[in-house]
Amino acid sequence: MSQRRASEGGVFTDYDLDPNYYDEMFGTDGSARQACKRLNAALAELAPEDLTRLQEGVYRHFLHEGITFTVLDAERATEQIIPIDCVPRVLTGAEWEHIERGLKQRLTALNLFLKDVYHDGRCLRDKVVPIDLVLGCPQYRMEMRGLKVPHDVYVAVCGTDIVRTNDGFAVLEDNLRVPSGVSYMLACRNAIKDAFPRLYRAHRVREVADYAERLYSTLASLRPSLQDPQVAILTPGIHNSAYYEHAFLAGEMGIHLVEGQDLVLRDGALHMRTTAGLRRVDVLYRRIDDDYLDPVMFRGESVLGAAGLFHAYRTGNLVLANAPGTGVADDKSLYSYVPAIIRYFLGEEPVLANVETHLCREPDGLAYTLEHLEELVVKEVGGAGGYGMLVGPHASAEERATYAERVRADPANFISQPVLALSRAPCFVGGAIEPRHVDLRPFVLQGRDEQHVVPGGLCRVALRRGSLVVNSSQGGGCKDLWILED
Amino acid sequence: MLARVAAEFYWLGRYVERIEHTARLLRFQLDRLADRPADELTLGWQAVYRILGQPPVGKTASGDDAETVVMPDAYTLAGGLVEERANPDSLLSCWEHGRENGQRVRAQLPLPVWTCLNQGYLWIRDCDFSAAWSEAPAALVNEAIDRLRLFAGVVDAAMPRDEAWRFLELGRFIERVQHQSVLLASWVEFSREEHAANALSWADLLRVCGAYEVYCRRHSTNVDRTEALNLLTRDPELPRSLRFAVHRIEDLLTGIDPVGARYPLAPPHRMALRLTAAVEMGNNGGSDETDAGGFFRSLEDESRTLHHLTMAAYVTHSPPQGLAK
Repeated sequence: MSQRRASEGGVFTDYDLDPNYYDEMFGTDGSARQACKRLNAALAELAPEDLTRLQEGVYRHFLHEGITFTVLDAERATEQIIPIDCVPRVLTGAEWEHIERGLKQRLTALNLFLKDVYHDGRCLRDKVVPIDLVLGCPQYRMEMRGLKVPHDVYVAVCGTDIVRTNDGFAVLEDNLRVPSGVSYMLACRNAIKDAFPRLYRAHRVREVADYAERLYSTLASLRPSLQDPQVAILTPGIHNSAYYEHAFLAGEMGIHLVEGQDLVLRDGALHMRTTAGLRRVDVLYRRIDDDYLDPVMFRGESVLGAAGLFHAYRTGNLVLANAPGTGVADDKSLYSYVPAIIRYFLGEEPVLANVETHLCREPDGLAYTLEHLEELVVKEVGGAGGYGMLVGPHASAEERATYAERVRADPANFISQPVLALSRAPCFVGGAIEPRHVDLRPFVLQGRDEQHVVPGGLCRVALRRGSLVVNSSQGGGCKDLWILED
Repeated sequence: MLARVAAEFYWLGRYVERIEHTARLLRFQLDRLADRPADELTLGWQAVYRILGQPPVGKTASGDDAETVVMPDAYTLAGGLVEERANPDSLLSCWEHGRENGQRVRAQLPLPVWTCLNQGYLWIRDCDFSAAWSEAPAALVNEAIDRLRLFAGVVDAAMPRDEAWRFLELGRFIERVQHQSVLLASWVEFSREEHAANALSWADLLRVCGAYEVYCRRHSTNVDRTEALNLLTRDPELPRSLRFAVHRIEDLLTGIDPVGARYPLAPPHRMALRLTAAVEMGNNGGSDETDAGGFFRSLEDESRTLHHLTMAAYVTHSPPQGLAK
């Protein structure tokens, strides 16, 4: 593997390129890509102390404003600052246009798929997707069968994980239930704008600041019969890992942030308890899982939702975003069928590719997975946050053997993918700029009449050298993503 | 406004006020450490713990000294009120609770207010207490008070005078009436005990309440019990006087009550009027020592009733019972 230094002097002194990985700032010849030239030149002029000062400033900003996420372990909940890297990642307008088109196409198809699997089941009859995969999925909600969802918008807010390799962009995962991270995207942007005001202005970066406004319009559009619908966010409370985001969005949208204890069903409609008595809720942007929404319909022991909430939803007195049961479309097993779903419902070729995936529920997939465990990443189909997966090349023989037993015991619960050569971007780590692996989570809003892809996203970084795990709960951080105007 | 959110603001106000009250008492006692005789300091600690309604750290002596508490060293005592997590009323615990209240209403809390509250919490959480006690104990308490003043200033500058602000302020002033009533009742009781009266003067009481300078300007440096109690009870302009606090409560409840000041008034509002009348017309013992302690204790009881009525009217929506009682 040949390695070259990307730039001479300054903070880039130790920056090595590896042709196995696409570098977000440098071409294979070691020179900065056209869109990154200005940023590269500005950074190269900075001394490590300058960047350290900037990085510390960003850290302090996050600390004082309490921009945190909560990590839960058996003992207690600990608030942590999400590590922010102060070097932005840059994408050109053309690159973004490709991603945007792909995301819109994907979400349109997935909403159609959800409507179909909860009504006619055409795609199941036509064997586009195996019927047992859908009906056997724990996220498939029988309660949603035949239910009319307002404007057929099952997924109003979507966060799609995208990676880039030397082969281009590919979708790694769709998050269709309660995708999080948008507040970190906005906080990151504010911090970086403060740190590099001139550089930011010179780059003509597309704005993301109107996200909350657009989210509110999206949610309100789902209840068009009301002029001024009462919209609220349902949070599990301050110990939830994404509580900061819930509070942030409620504050930005100027709507109530409610907990289950604030809600009560009266006359078939959902109400919240206010100082002046009960007030009706028309649209609920729920940030809790289906299981906890309503103890009457789902998990009886849940205290996070409200009894009767689903009744209000079913009778059309309440709009839920996202709709219950959307998890069936972001299950990791179903993921491999999304290209077929796009072709079936839209008659188009997918704009964004999928990552090669082996389903252990299928005999061939299981055999391949077990034979190539050393080369693969194996994931639980319902897993999230980077937990419960096996990274074959980094695991010991004993760990692989133990994991293989689990896969054999319940093959349908696992999928495998090749270890992806995630692209790398410059990050300021330990006093110098070094390459680190990154991914990207853009957010798509689907309202009654329009779709909007936020021109930016949560760019997650695996801050540990060589690590491919970008999850914040496992040593990952994030950085700002600049989409340039053409 | 969500009833739960109103309660969070209310409790945030109460915790902030509680921190300040404890810090003021501590500052009074820590300032005396350098030059007061040991027995006066012991009495001072007993008074501080009694006013705060907490059992003192240490053990009770037996025999003839059965009533005397053997006090451990001063910084253990101060530490119990500052950094002890097991003590729900320590400065650290209160800051933690207040910050949690703030966190639950972050969506309604202006960013500068939240940041100031959070910074205060991070400061006390990360404080090196052993270094603070060995180097400059009073400085630690002074910084706590300065941070509270900063918080109050940011609240004043950044919060709109809406329902959230009213509940925050209501919590502060109900807590203040409760604490001031206990403080004044306790001081009146100390004044009857000969050994305590020498150690805890009326001037000391004014200092704890930040009213000594005001008193000197209006009267003289020779502090008179009647004038001191009148100032702390009935002065309409002194922020820590009971009258000032009950008037604020009345104004705030007028704003909170959906029907304003129209009759029939909501139960908390009626209770606030009763409290105001009691403060303005009751016997505070300024000139008559017979039942002064009882007067302030009754105000404390009424302020607790006011708390319950407020919760019942705006948070739990349960039928009011306090007034009937």
